[in-house]
Amino acid sequence: MKLSTPVRHGSALAGIAGTLLLAGCAAEASSAETTKDTTPPQSTATPSATSGSSSSTGESGAVYKDGTYTADGSYQTPETVEKISVSITVHDDAVTAVEVTGDPQAAETKHYQGQFIGGISAQVVGKKLDDISVSRVSGSSLTSKGFTQALDAIRTEAKR
Amino acid sequence: MDVWRFEAIGTVWEIETARPLTAGEREAIGETVEDFDHIWSRFRDDSLVTALAAEPQEVPTPPDAVAMLDLYRALSDATGGAVQPLVGDSLVARGYDAGYSLQDHGTRPAPRDWTELLAWDDGALELFAPALVDVGAIGKGRLVDVVHDLLGALGHVEHLVDAGGDLRRRGGPVRVGLEHPFDATRAIGVAVVTDAALCGSAANRRAWPGLHGGLHHVLDARTGEPVRAIAATWAIAGEAMLADAAATALFFDGGAEFAAQFGVEWVRMTTAGVVEWSAGSRMEVFA
Repeated sequence: MKLSTPVRHGSALAGIAGTLLLAGCAAEASSAETTKDTTPPQSTATPSATSGSSSSTGESGAVYKDGTYTADGSYQTPETVEKISVSITVHDDAVTAVEVTGDPQAAETKHYQGQFIGGISAQVVGKKLDDISVSRVSGSSLTSKGFTQALDAIRTEAKR
Repeated sequence: MDVWRFEAIGTVWEIETARPLTAGEREAIGETVEDFDHIWSRFRDDSLVTALAAEPQEVPTPPDAVAMLDLYRALSDATGGAVQPLVGDSLVARGYDAGYSLQDHGTRPAPRDWTELLAWDDGALELFAPALVDVGAIGKGRLVDVVHDLLGALGHVEHLVDAGGDLRRRGGPVRVGLEHPFDATRAIGVAVVTDAALCGSAANRRAWPGLHGGLHHVLDARTGEPVRAIAATWAIAGEAMLADAAATALFFDGGAEFAAQFGVEWVRMTTAGVVEWSAGSRMEVFA
């Protein structure tokens, strides 16, 4: 995901704090080496902690300035481009919150909860791959050359 | 570990072995992959499934057919027909065709009575009406298993077969990041795989614009529409085919039940960013 310029700064976030979730990334980043010791789900974190920490200003040396960055979903989601927008809040070079706006789930499935679900967590921000010790990655980054070329071709077509 | 990297069946493969693969072993693996592709690839004009689509007929049962189609029957039962192997024409209608045209021609539901149109046993495989077989839900997992077994037969005792993120491990623990479907630089969790298989499926993996919104390769066979609720799934099972099957099923109602029925551990993320997971200790979510 490419991050655009900050659309608003951290202090303005208090108004929408209720929709944000604290993922605790800032606290975990310093203990990234102890990957064998699994961190329990931090479900006790409160949204108010997010708004409380969002008022500090950016520090020099950080890769990203503090603030909220917004990126459109584009092809990354199965929904239309117009419908998904992901906002990431950065504080001290760590993502502290993510917000997905729009109505991405015109769901054909309604019952997410059930006896076969072991756990559930609202919007997971995750951790930087660089900060966790893994030897492989499973996900969408490896797509075949043929498909990628075809997609590039129709994108070029669309621009004509 | 020695790593051999190559591209086949539309993805990047990596095979890690404690003892380097000999030239003869690589050749044997290459032939095995080619044989599978020659039978099951709907992207080839010389494959068995292409021939069946052109002319429904009875053929000697090819290897892997019984194992895969038996599992497809369980998948179809569990998901109310959302996942089934005659979905090929539905995918073609949306543009996911042999030429990757990516031109959307609208919905084309797959035949609901697919078990009436397709028959298989140890001797014969028969298609009774024109239809394009697509084993995309489990085929790659099956091929990973086949290559995994071949390595064992060749005398390897510690190895890992990774076909673009669908992998099977023989040996001690391998930590695998679960790539965030909205941000490839991040992981939403980690799976620890020991003598087991991990498969993932992401709606953004093969996605393209359609007539009325974005399309991707996980279609509901009953409607011909892509799944809108789930963005990515991961599953751990003893065999990659089963993990692959569960990863697909988890896009639909009934998927969690299917996983429980077969003892599969899983994690999935909805398109709203919500993450759900099964009971089990082999996957950690950074929740």
